[in-house]
Amino acid sequence: MKDIIRFGLILMIVSVVAASALAAVYAVTNPRIQAQKQAQLQAALTAALPGSTSEGMQPVSEGGEVLYYQARDSQDSTRLLGYAVIARGVGYSSTIESIIGVDSSGKIIGMKVLSQAETPGLGTKVQEIKYGEKDPWFSRQFIGRPASQVAVDKDGGEIKAITGATISSRAVARSINAAYGELTKRIGQQTTQEQ
Amino acid sequence: MSLWKEFSKGLYEQNPVFKQALGCCPTLAVSSTVSNGIGMGLAATFVLVCSNLLISMLRKGVPAKIRIPIYIVVIATFVTIIDLAMAGFTPDLYARLGIFVPLIVVNCIILGRAEAYAGKNKVLPSMIDGLGMGIGFTLALLVLGAIREVIGNGTFLGIPVFGVDFEPVMVFALPPGAFIIIGFILGFIAWLEKKRSQKTAGK
Repeated sequence: MKDIIRFGLILMIVSVVAASALAAVYAVTNPRIQAQKQAQLQAALTAALPGSTSEGMQPVSEGGEVLYYQARDSQDSTRLLGYAVIARGVGYSSTIESIIGVDSSGKIIGMKVLSQAETPGLGTKVQEIKYGEKDPWFSRQFIGRPASQVAVDKDGGEIKAITGATISSRAVARSINAAYGELTKRIGQQTTQEQ
Repeated sequence: MSLWKEFSKGLYEQNPVFKQALGCCPTLAVSSTVSNGIGMGLAATFVLVCSNLLISMLRKGVPAKIRIPIYIVVIATFVTIIDLAMAGFTPDLYARLGIFVPLIVVNCIILGRAEAYAGKNKVLPSMIDGLGMGIGFTLALLVLGAIREVIGNGTFLGIPVFGVDFEPVMVFALPPGAFIIIGFILGFIAWLEKKRSQKTAGK
């Protein structure tokens, strides 16, 4: 009985010290981590909308949640450069998240897979950068195509699916279709509200 | 035992993966490429040295009956602190190694060395032990990663090693391939050991 109380107390002290240490480290690192995340988002937005600057980028949100980003030309601020939106699709073993940038006609001008946890060596190739190249070959295929119609070759589209990872490839293409559909609906709402 | 021996036993004699069969889960999971293996190995080595240091410092105050929960709290806290510190202060390093750090909490080499060594030995030998075990773990990942990346992906450190006609054997990039290769390696080591003991017996 005495042992239980003694051991319980020791465990309590260890846990309190551990929790305080964690809290202190968290308090110090959290603002920095948030700043890193912001910088990452900015880099993703720049990748999706080439030619835009952070000043010209404007988040459009509803209820505290950012729905899409609107970008204006860095030279001519009255000209609309395009929109950026996050696309999410369920792949083989994870949700694949990517960001796409479209111009006002709905053509994809930039695209980047942000996160995924697909099968190593197969589905992970949605982010693969081949040796000697600068950008992932899979996402490069999407640029210049209409966001509403992109589809992998097995579905009759023009995107070459990754060998052995059709499900992952298809998830990316379909998530883009869906995200673009959602985007056009939102933009429609926004303009009617403004009028 | 000399410090050099404390260090070198982790490389082969008591290699955590090949001899003690510890840490097989991360070994099989992240050895698909050489760079993954190096990343995981270095992150684990760092945690191992520091956790051995802490456990060794605490060893006199920890009652034997509740040492395991205390080790687990200490190791988990420590790994989380490293995770947060890396994310906050070294974002580039975190981008490369970040995914491995949470995996280290469940790496049984860490708890294994705390239990088998650091809980009973002085601070300096414990750190050396952690360093040797960590490098032994890294070597194991490197061997496995090199075989798997070359056969399963046709590249070494991301650089193609075969001509364009080479069709990678996909299974080696996947978990079953890791099991097959580690099986062959363990078999080979057992065979070596057998030959070695036969030689000494014959003398």
